[in-house]
Amino acid sequence: MTANSEGRYRIGVDIGGTFTDGTLVNSNSGRVTTSKVLSTPYDPASGFISAVQKLLDLDDSVKPEAVEHVVHATTVATNAIIEGKTAKTAFVTTEGFRDMLEIARQIRPSLYDLQFEKPAPLVPRQLCFEVPERLDAKGQVVTPLDEAALDEVVDRIAESGVEAVAVCLLHSYRNGDHEQRIGKAIAAKLPNVIISLSSEVVPEFREYLRASTTVINSSVAPIVRTYLASISKKLHALNITSELLVMQSSGGVYPAAAASENPVFMVESGPAAGAVAAASLGTALGYPNVISFDMGGTTAKASLIRNGQPNITKDYSVGGAAQNGTGAFGGASGYPIRTPVVDLVEIGAGGGSIAWVDSGGALRVGPQSAGADPGPVCYGLGGEQPTITDANLVLGRLDPAYFAGGEMSLNLDAAREAIRTQCAEPLGLSVEEAAHGIVEIANTAMVNALRLVSVQRGHDPRDFMLVGFGGAGPAHAVRLAEQAGIPRVLIPQGPGTASALGLLVTDVRMEGSSTLIIRSDEIEHSRIASEFDRLEAAGREAHSVAASASGTPLFERTIEMRYWGQSFELSVPAPSSSTIDQAWMNELTESFHDAHEMAYGFRAKDEPVELVNLRLTTIGKIVRPQMQKLKNIGTDVFVAFKGERPVYFAENSGEKGVVQTPVYDRSKLPAGAVFEGPAIIEEPDCTTVIHPAWTVTVDEFGNLEIEINS
Amino acid sequence: MTTSAIDPIKLEVIRNALTQAAEEMAIALRRSAYSTNVKTRQDFSCAFFDKYLRSVAQAFTQPVHLGSFVRHVPVAVKRYGPENLGPGDMILSNDPYGGGVHLNDISLIAPVFYQDQLVGYTACLAHHVDVGGGAPASVGAFREVFQEGIIIPPIKFVVNGELDDDLFRLVLSQIRSKRETAGDFRAQIASNRTGAIRISEIIDKYGIEEFDQYIDEIIEYTDRRTRAEVAKLPKGVFKAEGFVDNDGFTDDVVKLVVKVTIDDDGVRFDTAGSDPQRRAPVNSTFAQTFSACAYALRALMDRDLPVNDGFYRYVHVDAPKGTVTNCVHPAPVVGGWETHVRLNDLIFEALAPALPDAVCAGTKSMQCHSGFGGENHETGEYYCFLETIAGGYGARSTSDGPDAVQSHGQNTENAPVEETESNYPVRITRYELVTDSEGPGEFRGGLGLRRDYMFPDEATFTILADRDKFGPRGLFGGEHGGKSVYALIKDGNEEHLSSKTTVQLQPGDVISYRTSGGGGYGEPFKRDPKAILDDVLQGKISVDRARDRYGVDIDISKQQVNEQTTKELRNGKQR
Repeated sequence: MTANSEGRYRIGVDIGGTFTDGTLVNSNSGRVTTSKVLSTPYDPASGFISAVQKLLDLDDSVKPEAVEHVVHATTVATNAIIEGKTAKTAFVTTEGFRDMLEIARQIRPSLYDLQFEKPAPLVPRQLCFEVPERLDAKGQVVTPLDEAALDEVVDRIAESGVEAVAVCLLHSYRNGDHEQRIGKAIAAKLPNVIISLSSEVVPEFREYLRASTTVINSSVAPIVRTYLASISKKLHALNITSELLVMQSSGGVYPAAAASENPVFMVESGPAAGAVAAASLGTALGYPNVISFDMGGTTAKASLIRNGQPNITKDYSVGGAAQNGTGAFGGASGYPIRTPVVDLVEIGAGGGSIAWVDSGGALRVGPQSAGADPGPVCYGLGGEQPTITDANLVLGRLDPAYFAGGEMSLNLDAAREAIRTQCAEPLGLSVEEAAHGIVEIANTAMVNALRLVSVQRGHDPRDFMLVGFGGAGPAHAVRLAEQAGIPRVLIPQGPGTASALGLLVTDVRMEGSSTLIIRSDEIEHSRIASEFDRLEAAGREAHSVAASASGTPLFERTIEMRYWGQSFELSVPAPSSSTIDQAWMNELTESFHDAHEMAYGFRAKDEPVELVNLRLTTIGKIVRPQMQKLKNIGTDVFVAFKGERPVYFAENSGEKGVVQTPVYDRSKLPAGAVFEGPAIIEEPDCTTVIHPAWTVTVDEFGNLEIEINS
Repeated sequence: MTTSAIDPIKLEVIRNALTQAAEEMAIALRRSAYSTNVKTRQDFSCAFFDKYLRSVAQAFTQPVHLGSFVRHVPVAVKRYGPENLGPGDMILSNDPYGGGVHLNDISLIAPVFYQDQLVGYTACLAHHVDVGGGAPASVGAFREVFQEGIIIPPIKFVVNGELDDDLFRLVLSQIRSKRETAGDFRAQIASNRTGAIRISEIIDKYGIEEFDQYIDEIIEYTDRRTRAEVAKLPKGVFKAEGFVDNDGFTDDVVKLVVKVTIDDDGVRFDTAGSDPQRRAPVNSTFAQTFSACAYALRALMDRDLPVNDGFYRYVHVDAPKGTVTNCVHPAPVVGGWETHVRLNDLIFEALAPALPDAVCAGTKSMQCHSGFGGENHETGEYYCFLETIAGGYGARSTSDGPDAVQSHGQNTENAPVEETESNYPVRITRYELVTDSEGPGEFRGGLGLRRDYMFPDEATFTILADRDKFGPRGLFGGEHGGKSVYALIKDGNEEHLSSKTTVQLQPGDVISYRTSGGGGYGEPFKRDPKAILDDVLQGKISVDRARDRYGVDIDISKQQVNEQTTKELRNGKQR
């Protein structure tokens, strides 16, 4: 491999709950090296560096100075919020509104629970300060900023010893002048305190949501800044001096400097990586519309990708219950943010989810999980309650002798016994029927997650391909597709570590927005043009830091619109014509009517349309690693044949029972091979289950393309 | 025909799919609606009923509606005649004396057909910001239901997929906020359409026969679980009495009585002894009283229990006709929810000795409407605005009552100040917790909420609320929460207003709400002094109140509890 000594490299590091994954890609050859080390929650930076060090050790031809950039996904911000370890922060707002964070949305997080709790505000009431000033809804000054009162507030903030300050004044999304002046006054007295202004972080209306976003930004900033600085320092010590980039919740990466300034954009950094990986893979293979399905030990995540882009939402709560349905009351259990987040639904269904029978005699799965400790019954580590993994084992879908590539053997008898006594007998079912029920019920919840991201957003699942990955994803993906009406499934090469690779196929992306809130028949076209120009200049400036990694920036323009009177916007791409005139506006409003009809089943042709936000995304394209083609080409699948075993597939055959099923070694499957289900495909960290009536094609890169028989 | 055995797996799959269908109805309604009350505050509900008009699945929105819906939808459909409904038809109804509630809550009900066969009904209810009547936002104190707005018996509003334009114009012509209300009606249609599509998709998969069979089983399953939950409740007869503070015309309290009987047959709620109905807005229809009882029972059960016909059949309500708990025509009803929610407090108070760890002390327990309207000079339109304001929650046996939240069947969001000021000619000048409004206790009640509205132009404002005479009650030695105050501030002078009144405002006038705090739980002198210190440092309780009501002496300059004087205060009080 000496030829690679001239190569250039990129490194991705993804820190998970148990493991920290490192991925190194040779930019020239596309060769991928991976590393896995135990995560170090007390000091995540040390696990990070171990993963990088291990990559360098694995391939001693890599010169640290040849690393072009390092991309990182981290849960450090989310964890600080969930664990209540945010920095001591003050909040400054308009006189009369000190309790904005305490009151929140005045709702309870659950409907019938008399013992509920409201989440404690991230800033205690004694650190919330009021300043006399007031703007009206048009951004005009009603009460000028009281400078003398401000000075007193600054003194009190100084006495309080906070590390950060969030400023959110009413209607500042229209006019940020008062917030700017407050920010300058605080900075003058307290140069080391981090200050976040709502008019800069997220200049959008609805004060509580903007304030909550701004408070999260400022209260995690000291933590994120220290953390990223520590990583940079350690990378330097390894002679890696290139740009450190951080994964954002929305799926793009941004420079560490920008992340330190605006960390609220990266609170869901970790889960975004999987969606990005699926999007990139789909695009590379000519499937721009896919549904990403990532299932691990405790949770499963689904997200929808259209035209190669994950769907993005701004209706999100950090630390909240899973977003379901209207999302409103789930949202009341966490802290809302209005920054873009990959629209993913995360549910408590993973290999470790526990099955049980409730008081009404229904079989249930989760949300409790056996996790890794004690783990499923079949691990033999003390787990006593049957899990999804136990059920898959009983059904013959997992091989007791080839778990973790044979490093660990599973106790089938113990799994059967647990399912028999705890599920099958109480329900009057056979052990296989109960095990099948456990898998099917978990699948139902996961199908719901797939529907939440597709049907509920107005997209027909039949138009998508399901990309299944994560440790448990490939065992369930085909059956989920069948139930959700998705005709095709893709299981990528290396499904167990696909998320980490997602970090290295991500473009630099930065968002800028401008609030208009004006009817389409009242706006001057030149104003739209000048606002977009202003956003573009700012985007160009911000991108310059990362230019070495990503070349010349591209810009995407979208407009968030609604019928005048509605409160929820739909995002519509700007028409392609460069001149903004009446024809442009007509095309835009027509696109909006179409989008509305698709989402809600009607268009209101005669109703005025309102332009709410202009949004500009600055994109620095990153050269994606080339996928490597399989050397092994052929149609003969028997080279990969490992044997046969009985597997339970009741749902398709109609006849309840077991089907003798061939088992293949994935590493030996040749490109071009085509075979029908049922089949089991094994690799060290994953098992793919092919149900009857599906056909597998191994593509030239070794990905499994699985299609339902017509 | 023999039916095959129930597959427990399929049961769970179909049950989830039906709930999901109702949730998707809620999303379509919320996202396409126009009024702040519907789109932001979520004052609406959606549900699916089977072909026998039994409640099967609901979206998790407002329990007040859900409990009354199960009475109203069957009555409305039967009155119209199911045989008169075909594919694409939808009926509109808000008749309080046809199983309904107050006029603002308008239901749109659509039969769902699958290949020309009736398979069930989707229904959505929205609280419309105006339905005509004597004051903007259709809230106010009137003598008869006729003054409260347009009364809509079940009428076919959408015919074979097309909105009946004549009827639409007739309805809209009674209504002040025409543009917003028209938008909300369109959103209700979108909601039912979404529901019908989802239901059809489920039947595509399972066929009608199995669909029907599993609906039966979903209800029976819920029945079994409810029976198991009822069996766990303490048996006996439990009673409480209380009041709505006045009726809006007289200052006489409105007496309410609840008797809860729990035995092997189930749970029976009896409101005999409650006052006769008034010619005033505090009358609750049977559907509203039923909804209060259903909420209370559900709140005492496993959090995970589904809510459908299999649950509701265990809610037995005896509400004597002609009382404020089951009013008869033509009593006005717009404030019936005030009576409804107060019944909830009384039910929990009655059950407190038997279930001390399950219940909470008295809560805000009023809807606390704020409704106003007038001409919007900028658009030339007649605007209407409606919201309800939160208050303190009652304390529990091991925790304080949360500050500033909605209570019981009501869980509507606040209207963001910025959204409100962008769309309506009003300025919110103050929105904050009310210091010292908590009901003292070992666990204290939540704080009430202050909200001030300043009007730059003339406007008509209605307060339809309560709690200005008695604060929410404490439990087991806990004290009452603070009373509400409703005030008009004119040129800096403050005048207290009744809790149920309509006033004409001049430019510059301010209306100020300060809602009640929650009741306390346990004796205040047992409250942990550290918790009091935290309350004082946060400015939620004053130093004086800490000393007088809790016997805790706080040294504010040192930010600590003065242990010695606290001991003396508490010992002195106990002797």
